[in-house]
Amino acid sequence: MEEILEMALSKAEEAEVYHEEFQNTTVSFQANRLKAVDCSVGEGTGLRVIKNGKIGFSSITNAEDVKFLVNSALAASVFGQNACFKFPRASEIPRVECFDFAVDSTGVEKMIEEGEEVVRIITQEFPSFQCEVEINKTLSKTTILNSSGLNFTYKKSIYAFFVYAFSVKEGDFLGIEEEGVSCKYHEWTISLVEKIIEKIKLAQKRVSIDSGLYPVIFTSKAMPLVLSSLKRGINGKLVYKKVSPLSFKLNEPILSPEVTIVDDATFPYGRASSPIDGEGIPSRQNKVIEKGVLKNFLYDLQTAGLMQTQTTANGLREYDCLPSPSTTNLIVSPGKVSFEEMVEDIREGVIVDQVIGAGQSNVLMGEFSVNLDLGFKVVNGKIKGRLKNVMASGNAYDLLRNVVAIGKKPEFSGSIFTPPFYFKKVHIAG
Amino acid sequence: MKSHLVSILSKINAEYAEIRYEEVTSTQVHFVGKELESIGTSVERGGNIRVKGKAGWSFFSFNQIENLPTYLSEAIKYSRFAKNGPIKLAPVPPRVEVVREITGKDPRKVDLEEKYNLCSRYNHILLSGSEIQTSDLRYADIHTIKYYANTEGTYIEQEWFYVVLGMTSIARRGGNIQSAHEGVGGVGGYEIVENLEEKAERATRRALELLDAEPLSGGRYTVIVDPKLSGVFAHEAFGHLSEADFLYENERLLQIMKLGRRFGGNVLNIIDEPLIRGAGGFYLYDDEGVPAKKTYLIKEGKLTGRLHSRETAAKMGEEPTGNARAISYEYPPIVRMSNTYIEGGDKDKEEMIAEVKEGIYACGFRGGQTNLEMFTFAPEEGYLIKNGKLTRKVRDFNLTGNIFTTLSQIDAVGNDLVLFSGPGGCGKGDQSPLPVATGGPHIRIKELIVGGK
Repeated sequence: MEEILEMALSKAEEAEVYHEEFQNTTVSFQANRLKAVDCSVGEGTGLRVIKNGKIGFSSITNAEDVKFLVNSALAASVFGQNACFKFPRASEIPRVECFDFAVDSTGVEKMIEEGEEVVRIITQEFPSFQCEVEINKTLSKTTILNSSGLNFTYKKSIYAFFVYAFSVKEGDFLGIEEEGVSCKYHEWTISLVEKIIEKIKLAQKRVSIDSGLYPVIFTSKAMPLVLSSLKRGINGKLVYKKVSPLSFKLNEPILSPEVTIVDDATFPYGRASSPIDGEGIPSRQNKVIEKGVLKNFLYDLQTAGLMQTQTTANGLREYDCLPSPSTTNLIVSPGKVSFEEMVEDIREGVIVDQVIGAGQSNVLMGEFSVNLDLGFKVVNGKIKGRLKNVMASGNAYDLLRNVVAIGKKPEFSGSIFTPPFYFKKVHIAG
Repeated sequence: MKSHLVSILSKINAEYAEIRYEEVTSTQVHFVGKELESIGTSVERGGNIRVKGKAGWSFFSFNQIENLPTYLSEAIKYSRFAKNGPIKLAPVPPRVEVVREITGKDPRKVDLEEKYNLCSRYNHILLSGSEIQTSDLRYADIHTIKYYANTEGTYIEQEWFYVVLGMTSIARRGGNIQSAHEGVGGVGGYEIVENLEEKAERATRRALELLDAEPLSGGRYTVIVDPKLSGVFAHEAFGHLSEADFLYENERLLQIMKLGRRFGGNVLNIIDEPLIRGAGGFYLYDDEGVPAKKTYLIKEGKLTGRLHSRETAAKMGEEPTGNARAISYEYPPIVRMSNTYIEGGDKDKEEMIAEVKEGIYACGFRGGQTNLEMFTFAPEEGYLIKNGKLTRKVRDFNLTGNIFTTLSQIDAVGNDLVLFSGPGGCGKGDQSPLPVATGGPHIRIKELIVGGK
């Protein structure tokens, strides 16, 4: 890597080498039985140069292509953007928990046992269900080296557990998925199985609903549908391009005063935790929404430079692309209400747990329109049964401005750590 | 490469194994608004070995081919973990073939500056309009050489270029932000992305027009979908359920998906056909070395075929169709579509619209998804139809249906089949995006559920 940096610096003013190595192992169960054990061992190197004040980039996977890497990055810089930043110097980097030796030492045999247990428990209680299970462990090592003297390496581990239980009857398919992901080894088996069994039970009865406006609860698992618009809205690049609907709303109340959200790459063992971002800036917490008020946009070095502000350590990337602003772990503060209390409060309403068709509307503006893959109807404070063939539509910003209550138990859904939310209304078409 | 792979495979102590190795060089140009976001060329080399044990598979992907013997012994060890078998593969005669699909204008002979200039010109069009806020333009040419060898003696070497351009224009009026997209793509040469000024203008115009469109209220409507959207309909509403890996180990689903089952009227034919030169999902051999072929999924309204890997074909006692595909060397092949389309019928588009008293004409697409029973497919925009005429423009709605009932609600199939490919592609499991094409004529669907406000 030092060699690449030297080669680049013989022609460019500044340079940065980003190197990733990973190995992952996945055991997959299909139709209730172990089907495959997959492994990957891979690596890649990205080179960013600043030549004549302009940015150039290229990437490779194999050492034999190093010359190509340097020449391509330099050639690209002829057309590149003017760099509005300097590569960061070595500075104090926080200790962030994102590596667990227990993930490393969990063997294939143990992963298979865990998968078999999931299948055994679910099919014992519900023999008509078929399970797919995928258990994955990933170990990675990332190094950033730059011409300002930064040379930092960190290791990360991920243990991810995915279960899908599926049953088929003519005119009545039911598929329930649950996922657990952490940088830390965790016995996901029981917690995921319990959730699936509870939902299978609730879904046994089919109920219908008339089209109209209804109060709605989004489970933690369904909340990314609502928060994906906000994720884009606070993206510094979209703000710079003036296509974020939040562009001119810094320090204004934009959501219900109950809503507080931080972006936090230092969160212990979070899916997106790391000690530095993709350009070597020390990770930190950034307030995004405080009591409904928009506090910060998220930036990488270049976008911050263009906006004449500071990076928020949100320059995320993989080895084969330039950094770009993105959220890390989005942490939503819990409220005071239990899920059961939310349900009890509803006279007639809907629970959204899984959807199909997310991300296909005008997400930037907050619009969504989705089919309830797994949704329930609530009548007089009780869950009555499963809703099917129903569309739920609305605007994520409207929902977040009309919060009735926030749940007290947050859970990770991908890299979003959120409790369930109870909103005033959503449009239902059935 | 051939002798190297063959000699490694000859030493393997396993029932069946295969090696795939890829060298991929890609050049891309990305504009966002006036600024060039990124430009340049990258190269990726990697491969994998897949071993079949008695009851399961193991798969090992890597970048360093010199370590292959080590990876191989790991893969053989892992292939023995699965105990509940057996797995069989449908027989495919071994063959040795070298395929070079370098046609048209070779993108390697076009220098980076020329590619930059072309993109810059289109981007300028995407940005022309006082209410246009920004744009997003992505160009890529991807050169792939893929080597495949298995222990049955098959060796296939394939080389091709995939050239793709996506153009989005984004308009803004106060808090109202709207975007429209045009894209092209396919296996071929640089000519695929030339002379697209008109498409760029169309994206710009439609983004501006969407500012004035009104949100649509949800409910049940008669919907006419344009060829772009009818292709996504074919892909989501039927294509995925035809993928035999969803079916082959699920007795109940197999009962439901019996060949001969009626799904739609006699006018309905749905086809998957990899061998369409120039289309996004074009290939001659899949990632198990099986020759590609045309498969009728639905013929005259009845289920007639499905898409197979060698494993699903053997299990179901059907012929392999050459649909085992992987998005890259990092993934094992799974059953995927290629170019999927609804065959043209006999109706004129104007006639279809004229016959609708109240309904929606839905155009363009933003995506689709299925859970094998329900599906969604999202248009970019639409028009209300009143008494056989298109009236005001509408936006922010999504279409949904049930695979087992919605196809029978198609009451008219147009005579204007078009096949589309472009940036993006199909996602299944964690493999996304896979280049595919989708297409169809205008079709009319009665009583479709539309989500809106």
